[in-house]
Amino acid sequence: MSGFPEGLSSSPGQRSTPGPLIVAAPSKGRLQENAFAFFARAGLELQQGRGARDYRGVIVGVEQAEAAFLSASEITARLARGEAHLGVTGEDLVREEIAEPATCVELLTPLGFGAANVVVAVPQAWIDVRTMADLADVAGSFRQRHGRGLRVATKYVNTTRRFFAQHAIGDYRIVESSGATEGAPAAGSADLIVDITTTGATLAANALKTLDDGVILRSQANLVASLKATWSDAAREAARLILSRIAAEEEARKTREIRTTLIEVSETMFREAQSRFDASLREVPDGGRFVFSVPAGRAPQFSDWLIAHGAKTVTSGRLDYVFRAENPLWNRLAARLAGG
Amino acid sequence: LWDVTQARDKDRARDQERLDAALAQFAAAGFTRREPALLQPAGLFLDRLGEDFRGRLYLTGEGGGADLCLRPEYTIPISLDYLASPMAGQPADIAYGGPIFRAGSGESLQTGLESFGRDDRAAADAEILGVALDAAKAAGAPRFALRLGDASLVKAFLDRLDLAPAWRRRIDTGLARGAPLARVLEPSARQNGGSGAGVLAALEKVDATGARKLVEDLLSIAGISTVGGRSAGEIAERFLEQAALEDGAGVGADKRKLIEAFFAIEAAPDAASAALRGLGQEAGVELGAALDEFDTRSGFMAARGLALEDMTFSTRFPHAIDYYSGFMFEARPVSRRAEQGAALSGGRYDALLKTLGAVGEIPAVGAAIFVDRLGGAA
Repeated sequence: MSGFPEGLSSSPGQRSTPGPLIVAAPSKGRLQENAFAFFARAGLELQQGRGARDYRGVIVGVEQAEAAFLSASEITARLARGEAHLGVTGEDLVREEIAEPATCVELLTPLGFGAANVVVAVPQAWIDVRTMADLADVAGSFRQRHGRGLRVATKYVNTTRRFFAQHAIGDYRIVESSGATEGAPAAGSADLIVDITTTGATLAANALKTLDDGVILRSQANLVASLKATWSDAAREAARLILSRIAAEEEARKTREIRTTLIEVSETMFREAQSRFDASLREVPDGGRFVFSVPAGRAPQFSDWLIAHGAKTVTSGRLDYVFRAENPLWNRLAARLAGG
Repeated sequence: LWDVTQARDKDRARDQERLDAALAQFAAAGFTRREPALLQPAGLFLDRLGEDFRGRLYLTGEGGGADLCLRPEYTIPISLDYLASPMAGQPADIAYGGPIFRAGSGESLQTGLESFGRDDRAAADAEILGVALDAAKAAGAPRFALRLGDASLVKAFLDRLDLAPAWRRRIDTGLARGAPLARVLEPSARQNGGSGAGVLAALEKVDATGARKLVEDLLSIAGISTVGGRSAGEIAERFLEQAALEDGAGVGADKRKLIEAFFAIEAAPDAASAALRGLGQEAGVELGAALDEFDTRSGFMAARGLALEDMTFSTRFPHAIDYYSGFMFEARPVSRRAEQGAALSGGRYDALLKTLGAVGEIPAVGAAIFVDRLGGAA
C-alpha cells in the first residue's frame, strides 16, 4: 500500500450529531502502558469497557469524552479521517500515513516515550558507502551494472520517497515489507532498508549499518489532535479540560517551587533572577517571604544564588499541578481549529 | 451546478475533437493506431521512470493490492505491444490516443506517435517532430516555443573529457535532474569521509589490480561474497576509487572551464552547432559523429519546412526520464508559462526496448501531445 488515498484524508468526519470527544489510545503492549501512565500523571484515568477486548471506554471524571483503544496505525488513520479528536501515536506514522499532515492534524506535544529513529541502513560490507551522497553515487550506476535499480525494503514508502528525492536519488525500487525488514538484504529480496530502530542492535545483528546522515526522522509518541474531526461544543470543552490537566502536569514536572526569606531585595535582583535562571515570582511577596518558580534543572544554582544574596534557608519543592488560565496546549489547538 | 457540468462537457467535447484531428493527421502520415489496455502493471513504470513516479500513479490491485495502475502514459505500453507483435525488430510506425491518468491532474487526453526500428535516425527524428507539430496544428494549437536537446551529444562530450568515474557519475545524475551546474561541479570533501586514506597510503606501493584483490580478499575473509546485490569486487573497486579522490579536489581547472563553456551553449540549432565545432577545435574535444548527426538532423528538419531559427537548442536540456538517448524536444504555446508543463514533448530512446525484453537495441523515437495543454494560457 502506498499510504493514504487522497480522498480519505481530505474529507471531514461525517458526524452529523454533536458528539462527545473521542480520545484514541494504544490498545496493547508497552505503548499502551506508557500512554496510560501519561494520562494517569495528568490525573486522567482511561477505563476500558468490560474485558480487555472491548475497544471502547471512558475517561473517568471527564464527561462528554470517550476513549477508543486501537492500534497506533489505526489511531493515525482515524485522526486523519476525523473519526477521533485526540490520539496518542508515533510521529513516524503521522508523517508516513497522512498525505498532508499539516492540513489534517496538529502534533500537540511529544510524550517522552516510544522513541525510535527511522533510518537508512545498508549492509556493513558496503565499506565504500557511509553517507547518502555515497548511496546516490552507487544508485546512479547500479542499473548499468546489474540491469535493475537498487531495491529498498521498507514499510515507510512515502517517507522513503521524500527523503531519497531530497538526496537526489531517483533510480531505485521500493520493496514493501511489513515485518522483519532488517532481514531483507541477507535474504536477497532487497539491497538496503529504511526501518525504525531504537538501539540499532537489530540492525547490527543483521550486519547492517546506519548511514552517517541517514536518520530520516527522530520519532516519539505524540499527543495528536485531528483538524478534520467535527469539534462540537461538548468536544471542545472536554478537550480544553483534558489539555489543561496535561499542561498543568507538564509544567509542574518541569519546574520547581523555590521558597525563601529575603531581608533586602531590589529590582535589579529580580531582573537578574529572570535573565540568569529564568526564575519568576509566583506569589506576591508577603513580609519578606518569596515564592519563585524556576525550571527544574536550574533549581540548585538558583538556590545557591539566593543564599549568596542573603537568604538563610531556601527550599525547593515539586508540585502536582500548575493550572493556568492561559493553557498553551489548548490555545494552540483552538487557533488551528479557528483556521490559524 | 448545471452550468459547471455543461462547461465541463464542452471542454471534454473540445479536447475530444482535438484528439480526433491529431489522430487523423497521424493516419494520413502512415502511422497505424494502437490502443494498449487501461490497466497496466505498476512495476513497469516504477522501474523505468523511477520510484518518484509512484506519487503520480493511481495504484490498485486484486484484493486491495497495489501492483496495477491506470495507464499513466503510452510509450512503455506501446513499446511492449510492439515487442509482442510480429513486427518486433522491424520498422513500425504507431500512433495512439486516449485517456491517461496521473495523480494531481486526474484523467486527461494524450495522443502521440512512436517510430521503431528505423536505422536512418536523423531522418526519423525530424519526421517524428514534424508530424507531431503538424498534428498539434491540426488540433488547433497556437504558436509554439520549441526547445531541443541531445543526450548523445552530451555523452560524446563527457566521454572525451576522460573524467574520474566518480565525477562522471555525479555530472550525469546531476544534469539528468536539472541541478545547477555550479553545484554539480562544487569540489566536495571526499564522499567516503576520508576513511580510506590510511588504507590507500598502505596500498600505494601495490598496483591497482593488486589493491583491488587485497580489499576483495579482506571482504572474503569476513565471509562476504555478495551482500545486498553488490559483489565484493564492486565494493572494493568503488572503495579504492573514492579513497583515490583527492580531498576537496574538483574536476580540475581546465576541465571545469571546458564543461562550463559546453553547458553554456544555448542557441538556434545552426548557431549552436557552430559554437560546438568552435569549442571542439579550440580545446581538442572533437564531437565527431554525434555532431555530424546533429547537423544531418537539422538538415532534415529544414527540408521538412520547420523554422530552425525559431527553435532553441540547449546543452542543458534536462532529461529526468533517463531512457532518452539522443534527440529530445519540448514545445509549449508561447502564451503558456514554463511551469505549466510542455504541450508536446518527446525524443529518442534507443535503449528502452532492450530493458523491456528486446534481444538487442532497437532504434526508437516518439512524441506525445498533452491535448488539454494545447489551449494557450490556462
